[in-house]
Amino acid sequence: MAATQIETTIQDVKREKPESNFRRMWDTLTQNKAAVVGMIVILFLIFIALFGKWIMPYDPNLGDMAVNKQPPSMEHWFGTDEQGRDIFSRIIDGTSVSLSVGLKAVSFALVIGTVLGAIAGYKGGIIDTIIMRVMDMMMSIPDILLAITLMAALGRGIDKAIIAIGLVTIPEYARIVRGSIMSIKDSEYVQAAKVIGNNDFVIIFKHILPNVLSPIIVRATLGISTAILNVAALGFLGLGVQPPYAEWGDMLGRARSFIFESPYMLIFPGLAITITVLAFNLLGDGLRDAFDPKAHH
Amino acid sequence: MKKKLALVIAPILALSMLVGCGSKETTSSTSTEAVEKTESGEEVADTLVFAQGAEPRGLDPAYVDDGESSKVIVNVYEGLLAYAKDSTELEPCLAESWEISEDGLNYTFKLRQGVKFHDGTDFNAEAVKINIDRQLPPQRTEDMPYASFVYADVKDVEVVDDYTVKINLTKKNTAFLANLAMSLAAPIVSPAALEANNGNVNQSPVGTGPYKFVAWSPSEDIVIERNEDYWGEKAKTKNIVFKFIPDNSARIVALKSGEVDMIDGIDSTGVDQIKADGNEVYNLSGMNINYLAYNTTRAPFDDVKVRTALSKAVNVPELVTALYGEYAETATTILPTFMPGYSKDVKQVEYNPEAAKAELESAGFTGPVKMIVYNNPRPYNARNKALAESIQAYWSKIGVEATIEDYDWTTYKDKVVAGDYDVCFYGWVGDNGDPDNFLNLLCDQNVSMNVSRLNDAAYNEIIAEGTSTEKGPERDAVYAKAEQYIADLAVWLPISHANNLSAYSPAVQNYSYHPTGNIFFKDMYKAK
Repeated sequence: MAATQIETTIQDVKREKPESNFRRMWDTLTQNKAAVVGMIVILFLIFIALFGKWIMPYDPNLGDMAVNKQPPSMEHWFGTDEQGRDIFSRIIDGTSVSLSVGLKAVSFALVIGTVLGAIAGYKGGIIDTIIMRVMDMMMSIPDILLAITLMAALGRGIDKAIIAIGLVTIPEYARIVRGSIMSIKDSEYVQAAKVIGNNDFVIIFKHILPNVLSPIIVRATLGISTAILNVAALGFLGLGVQPPYAEWGDMLGRARSFIFESPYMLIFPGLAITITVLAFNLLGDGLRDAFDPKAHH
Repeated sequence: MKKKLALVIAPILALSMLVGCGSKETTSSTSTEAVEKTESGEEVADTLVFAQGAEPRGLDPAYVDDGESSKVIVNVYEGLLAYAKDSTELEPCLAESWEISEDGLNYTFKLRQGVKFHDGTDFNAEAVKINIDRQLPPQRTEDMPYASFVYADVKDVEVVDDYTVKINLTKKNTAFLANLAMSLAAPIVSPAALEANNGNVNQSPVGTGPYKFVAWSPSEDIVIERNEDYWGEKAKTKNIVFKFIPDNSARIVALKSGEVDMIDGIDSTGVDQIKADGNEVYNLSGMNINYLAYNTTRAPFDDVKVRTALSKAVNVPELVTALYGEYAETATTILPTFMPGYSKDVKQVEYNPEAAKAELESAGFTGPVKMIVYNNPRPYNARNKALAESIQAYWSKIGVEATIEDYDWTTYKDKVVAGDYDVCFYGWVGDNGDPDNFLNLLCDQNVSMNVSRLNDAAYNEIIAEGTSTEKGPERDAVYAKAEQYIADLAVWLPISHANNLSAYSPAVQNYSYHPTGNIFFKDMYKAK
């Protein structure tokens, strides 16, 4: 009898809370000009990634050696690279690679990190110690260094880059989730959920996680920009996409031989990376402010 | 806002700076402030620093086959003969004179007396015998890549007296004397050092040369210093440091900043920058060939029709101009144009993508082609990955898919020996100015030399005819025939002959770079 009442109350709260929260956050977010700019840029990039194939003027992977290393012109807006490929088309083609890699790497890290963090935070004790000490070990090695090491073990290729970059960021999510869960696992509604006989799985994923989503979302948004940058770094080192496919970091890496002769080869992929990373960072910052109850007046 | 911007810009800057980092300051040996003088009383800096694109594989002339090792070896060791300063004309070196028997089978060398190895032991006829014997069967091992080439027809070595040695051949070999001046297999190593190091001095070279080995810091540098007991004119500069800087642009920047005095392995993209920095470019027609090789032991590349069709799809002159600019010449033959045996009448497979497509369709081949490539600059090709990608694009245009796997040079050589490829890229820098030195590659038993793994009896016969023919038009005709035979088999696709591009600070005096891809530091110096 009492249990049903509590449950009804919880459901009422849940039904009401997300909507009002969302409204409030959306307002805060849209008041932040920088975040809006970031959002617009991201929407634009998503558009390019989805419809780029129909926009690009040339085949991004097949060039004409007779017109290689051309500076920007009406025919080739961003010039051509060493293989005579149109850099504008390659930048467009690289958009979907960078975005999807960012999303995939973050999703990968997010799922595994959340599960690990949730188990560690909720169970505590020896399980917590084991999981978190492993996470600490991973965090003690710089991201990109660990990713390069993993690439050396996994071999080259964009799929492997996604795994490598995803793996190295797992601890960040695990920590955030664990911390959030520990802070609310003793709260009354969790106690209540326990009392009515829910199992741990339901408690963690249905009752606790939805309430610790905001820090995770902020972290994930910022994480996308880090992931894009890390993939670009691996590409720069020649560990990312395999030729002839286009990826910004890889384009930057091969253009560096021409830094004196044809600097434009370097500028455009560099700009593309900068703009994308900036957009995700601005949005992430905006989201953090929006989610932060203290920043809310 | 500033903070946010910085957050974004910092990693990008860091990314672009990955190129520049990774080398610490010049080694401590450079800091000794000894003052040296030339005859004219000029003060000479005590160290010259040379930067190359890759690390030597080793410093035992019997066990290595790469130019990076060779550049160090020629300064530490000497052979019985040597090449002239800027050609492959032969000059006496550790042998003062020689006689060849009428039938061309016996060579008697009078050796220079009073020469000492760096370890203080004497150079004599016994040392020559030990050096050649270790590279002859039964002592010869699989990992002596040049032994079977340099000492191809050697039967045995006799010590006549302390300073006379007689080398007997099984058959006449016109290139034999030229082989003895080569920088690999031919240089004479101290027998005492060989004994102390189990017959392999890769890590602790001891020769008779103008410089002696000091230290090797892996991935960093090799330091050699003047041999004060040298038999000839002593070296002008006390220390030479060979630094390893794999990235082309980083090497150019190191030259600009004065961190190094000389660099090689540069390509056309760097020339303007080097000149703008006020440094000198040394541009020399190269005695080399840069080529693509099909693995003739793997189906369907064992089929001459498939190889020919694939070669037909590649527009070699177009890609050579696009990739190497004016600093390489399109190869129409394996031999560079200035070498004996070169013939302008040799016809390579002609560019014709339509025919290529049709022929591959009739042969039922659509790929994929597995290409392996090296990603370090090589003297014959500074941009191999780009070359492979161009070829991948040409093949893609006729509907053949190709994959590219790139490796650093050392790993690459192992991959080539392992043989898991359809197409690989390679090159050759002439060692002795003899056509046999180039064309013999395709009948070598060693797969690290004969990367096409060709074993063709008729071709081997032509090459054998060449080695037993006296120098002259008749011999040249034999090599022209060999060239055409290989062109028709399409086992290689010759790409280019690279100019030997190296660069140096104008402060360096007497700079020169040898056509064999070596650099001799003995006479070089810079004013303090």
